[in-house]
Amino acid sequence: MLKHLFQTNPTLSLTRASMKIWFRDRQAIFWTFFLPVVLISVFGLLDFGAFRTVDLGMVDLANNDASRKLIGEVRALGTFDISEDLSEDEEREALLDGDRDLVLIIEPGFGEEQSPVRRQVTVVYNQGRAQESAAGQTIIQHVLDGMTFAEGNISERYSIKALPVDSRNLKFIDFLMPGVVAMSIMQMGLFSVAFSFVQLKSRGVLRRLKATPVLPASFIFAQVFIRLTVSILQTLVLVGLAVVAFDVHLEGNLGFMLLLALLGGGVFVSMGFAVSGWARTEDVAAPVANAIALPMMFLSGVFFPRDAMPGPLRAVADFLPLSYLADALRNVAVDGASLWSQWDNVLGLTVWLAITFFIAVRLFRWE
Amino acid sequence: MNQQAEIIQVQDLRKSYGELKAVDGVSFSVSSGEVFGILGPNGAGKTTTVEILEGMRAPDSGSAVINGIDVRKDPRAVKKVIGIQLQSSAFFDRLNLTEILDVMGSLYHREIDAMDLLRDVELDDRANALFKDLSGGQKQRFSVASTLVNDPILLFLDEPTTGLDPQARRHMWALVQRFKSEGRTVLLTTHYMEEAEELCDRVAIMDHGKIVAMDRPAALVESLLSKGFRKEHTEKLANLEDVFLDLTGRELRDE
Repeated sequence: MLKHLFQTNPTLSLTRASMKIWFRDRQAIFWTFFLPVVLISVFGLLDFGAFRTVDLGMVDLANNDASRKLIGEVRALGTFDISEDLSEDEEREALLDGDRDLVLIIEPGFGEEQSPVRRQVTVVYNQGRAQESAAGQTIIQHVLDGMTFAEGNISERYSIKALPVDSRNLKFIDFLMPGVVAMSIMQMGLFSVAFSFVQLKSRGVLRRLKATPVLPASFIFAQVFIRLTVSILQTLVLVGLAVVAFDVHLEGNLGFMLLLALLGGGVFVSMGFAVSGWARTEDVAAPVANAIALPMMFLSGVFFPRDAMPGPLRAVADFLPLSYLADALRNVAVDGASLWSQWDNVLGLTVWLAITFFIAVRLFRWE
Repeated sequence: MNQQAEIIQVQDLRKSYGELKAVDGVSFSVSSGEVFGILGPNGAGKTTTVEILEGMRAPDSGSAVINGIDVRKDPRAVKKVIGIQLQSSAFFDRLNLTEILDVMGSLYHREIDAMDLLRDVELDDRANALFKDLSGGQKQRFSVASTLVNDPILLFLDEPTTGLDPQARRHMWALVQRFKSEGRTVLLTTHYMEEAEELCDRVAIMDHGKIVAMDRPAALVESLLSKGFRKEHTEKLANLEDVFLDLTGRELRDE
């Protein structure tokens, strides 16, 4: 029954055909999914800007009860990324290479009566990693204090009651992910429509369709439907990847993000139709689509916040459709904003949809 | 099927592009079941005339009625009952022949037997091939198959044998003759006079947007001879094409 419907209804049949054509196009799949996935993965793995585990090297030259006790306690903390099988020279080398934040050296005689280093250890630290090495020194001092108190048999110590809280630790990937989603939707809508439609036009496929009683609306519907479906898929894949593989905190409602993806998809698909209506061949469509997409990619705050831009440039950048889409997606994803709180971005996108739709209709040509 | 005596009626059709009068007052009619040819040099207005009849292009003035339907008023209704083979046809990439025919059928709300249509044009062994991977002759045959999805009563074939080798051309001729035997009307344009002589019940010869002669091929030859025309050399009983076909056979070749 359903099969019959798909075979006798032009709109359904064309939609199914467009779906097959799209998913058989390896190049389209590459640009639409593979590239943004790589982008998110690279920045997810780099993860710069976050406080890393402190890398500690330990060299035990004393090798006695006291030194083994100290090393045991440090190891038991579990806070450090510890290396303890290398010689002092090798550890200092690693420190110079930037592979350690600090190296703890326990001199011979540590903990032994009469020794000048009876109660002293040496810490060589990386000045370039002030935060990590300071934290490391504080922790080691704390362990030493513990040992001191234990020797003095002081039973009542002042202590901290530590309460863990799950904080929102924003990483660059949190900022980047919604931007990449917005950018991918733009690329897909603009390029896949502009290219494939100009191709269908210049090769005469549209002419062949015009020789049948099919209504233009059926064909356009199929073309738009498949691309909006892909924009939903892109959002799901990229958000899913960021959450599962890179621990991105999705604060907001995924449904809101999908609605924004649809709206943004509509804007960029219309833009693609406008370009393809105007351009006669692929050779013209490509530079035009690039001339639209490239500036937006860098001006719309996909990779970096627009705050850093000079005033006049920013005034323009704020009104770009990709800015509205990236901002709205980011506010929902990162701040957990509701869709209605994003009314200004939604309004901006809607105005752009009206403009691009109007131009697309005006420029549309079958042949 | 509402078959009328005159399936095509064209009255004083005109279409200009700027100064150029592409179609300049063309009138003719075609009876149901006829194979009608429009001949003429390049730029004579053949294709423009045909495209107006197909509802692909609007005329400046004049009327064209197909199967009782005014093409200018309801081009969609006309397209439902006709099959159009364009001069150069292209189809969707990444769909195989069967899938394309299924989609084409759906555009007429019809569930078709794609294999059956492919068998008709001897392409059933390429059912899973892509259009772009077909040879020139195969493309042309597939293009004809795609015009049959709606079981049309009238077929428009625009230069169906241009660029085909002699074997493929003969095959196309056999197809046209079969359409005629099935009771379909065929309107074709061609550059090849022997093709028109072989296939057409009547031909119209166009030049500069006008029909300069219209009759049965034999009658046109008669009237030329009656004006005292004589060929300088009498026709041989065979020509080079006959030699070629005798040597290479009449079987379809697919390069």
